[in-house]
Amino acid sequence: MTQYPSYKMKQPKILLLIVIALLPLILVSCAPWGTQSAGGWAGTAVHKGTIYVGTVDGRVVAINSSTENLEWSYSIAPVTAPSSGLSCGETSVPTAIYGTPLVDRDIVYIGTYSGQVLALNMLARGQDLTFPQQRYGEWEWDCPIDNAKSNAIVADLLVSADSIYVCSSNGRVYSLDKEFGDLNWESKVLDERHRKLWTSPVIQGNTLYVSTYDGHIYALSLETGDLLDWSFESEAGFSSSPVVYEDAIFLGSFDRYFYAVKIGSDVPMWKFPEEKQAGNWFWAPPVINEGIVYAGCLDGIVYAIEAKTGEKIWEFDAGKTIVSSPVLIDNLLIVIDESGNVYVFDLGTELVREAVPLKTISIDAAVRSSFCAQEGLVYIRGEDNWIYVVDIDKGELGWKVTLTIEE
Amino acid sequence: MEVWNLIIGNPVLNVLVALSQILSGEFGLAIIALTVIVRLISWPLTKRQLNSTKAMQEMQPKIQELQKKYGKNQQKLQQEMMKLYKEAGVNPLGCLWPMLIQLPIWIALYQAIMRALATTPENLLDLANRLYSWGIVNQAIPLNSKFLWLDLGQPDPYFILAIIVGGTMWIQQKMTTAPAVDPRQQSTGRMMTVLMPLMFGFLTLMFPSGLALYWAVSNIIGIITQYFVTGGWGYLKLRSPSQ
Repeated sequence: MTQYPSYKMKQPKILLLIVIALLPLILVSCAPWGTQSAGGWAGTAVHKGTIYVGTVDGRVVAINSSTENLEWSYSIAPVTAPSSGLSCGETSVPTAIYGTPLVDRDIVYIGTYSGQVLALNMLARGQDLTFPQQRYGEWEWDCPIDNAKSNAIVADLLVSADSIYVCSSNGRVYSLDKEFGDLNWESKVLDERHRKLWTSPVIQGNTLYVSTYDGHIYALSLETGDLLDWSFESEAGFSSSPVVYEDAIFLGSFDRYFYAVKIGSDVPMWKFPEEKQAGNWFWAPPVINEGIVYAGCLDGIVYAIEAKTGEKIWEFDAGKTIVSSPVLIDNLLIVIDESGNVYVFDLGTELVREAVPLKTISIDAAVRSSFCAQEGLVYIRGEDNWIYVVDIDKGELGWKVTLTIEE
Repeated sequence: MEVWNLIIGNPVLNVLVALSQILSGEFGLAIIALTVIVRLISWPLTKRQLNSTKAMQEMQPKIQELQKKYGKNQQKLQQEMMKLYKEAGVNPLGCLWPMLIQLPIWIALYQAIMRALATTPENLLDLANRLYSWGIVNQAIPLNSKFLWLDLGQPDPYFILAIIVGGTMWIQQKMTTAPAVDPRQQSTGRMMTVLMPLMFGFLTLMFPSGLALYWAVSNIIGIITQYFVTGGWGYLKLRSPSQ
């Protein structure tokens, strides 16, 4: 009979070793980078004195900007999130909202991470009627999964005279009838590799332009959704939504360059910076005014670039990541960094090389959402689920209101 | 946490993303390549462990002698065997250390897979702050999570990887773990040999298949190196003492 060596180790010790070995795995599996989404970063929209915004707990709310009171709130159905790692099993979580509410006449349109587009009537929601009230023009549309991992809607919706355009995580663009929510058309899958269409489309004439994470800009017929002849291909994926200005498309890329592409051309008009790449991605779409592109970068710098040549006019280093797109109001450029510092630049004065903001106001909250400005006020949703209203003239925080429901 | 990311988390993430770009955007191939790199880096440790296993196999005749001599006195037998191990410079628990030392790699890899695949917009934004300014890294983003039948950010729905991980781990364990003499320790040894593969097979069902792919490839490399360094199947081909 063969004899074997023995090792003197008691069973509890071995079990303890196994537990010690697996404990870190159990712990990391509970970490927040799993498949579940957080509450999103819906931006603010203001229409006729009412602020519309999505909350981190999956609601769309309307707040009266004069009285600062809640006008109405609609809770989107929560979703069942799959488990991640050992930890957590299936859980019901609020639906995340990333897109800014789109307000058109008396309807608020919103896309959700659970793959729905909702058309909410202001009057019906104000009366808290059962959703959807078709006689008030309300509807909901479920985006198909279509063999993709997700049908999540992350990008802002786009509206034309009679249609809503939706980019989905299944890789397709959809056109919906604005009045009834019926499907007008669906595009082919534009990004077979990633599927995620997380950037918003843009309309120029009868064409819809869509940028993709696999580095394409596609031109689609606004009427049929068919791909048109022209498309543009880049080596790296596009990180920001496209903006059209004077027959050129402006957008940021994951290769840390900002691109200008003449529609119809196969080569970029220019890419910025000309030599060394920027410190990070150009995540937010730029704003363009009077031939100057204002682009915020995740490296914390906002750049003013000549739209025709790609030449830098000035830059401002906020020192903190800039996630939100800049906003123009009158002759002022508003930039907000992720730490909640609001920078106001007077474009009427000659800004050269290293620009100096006219005013800096801190709201003391993290900001990732897009924001809007109207009549001297800037409406910001903080990551802490508060709405902050900044008075530009006074250079201070006007008022703030929480979006969290007190239990 | 920042120190962890600076020293291990972010380097693993960036190497993984860079490998993905080099390997035609195939994230699965990048994980396999990283596994090979990790095994190469940990080769001195592995070699020591393999030599230890080989030495234990060569000590069999001496062990048998001790068994005959002190078979009735378990305490004395243990003492003499430990003395023998010490003289031969063999650590009978050596097989556990490579696993423990690989733990930080597993954790970093799990984090890297989840971060690199950026399943949510928050993940993608978070990724921006973790990537180096290497052109090769930024051109690879976002990554393609598909590899063979797998979505590397999700568990394998077909249990294939679970069987591969469990099976290869069992073979590796059987090759390296010396069976015990003491009946109580025999049952513990048997439990270990079965429990660990079962547990990792179970973990494969719960964790992203990218991490399970690392386990499977790592096990297969382990079996191959074990086979060639120790010159055979080790304890796998030996009968258990109860038989």
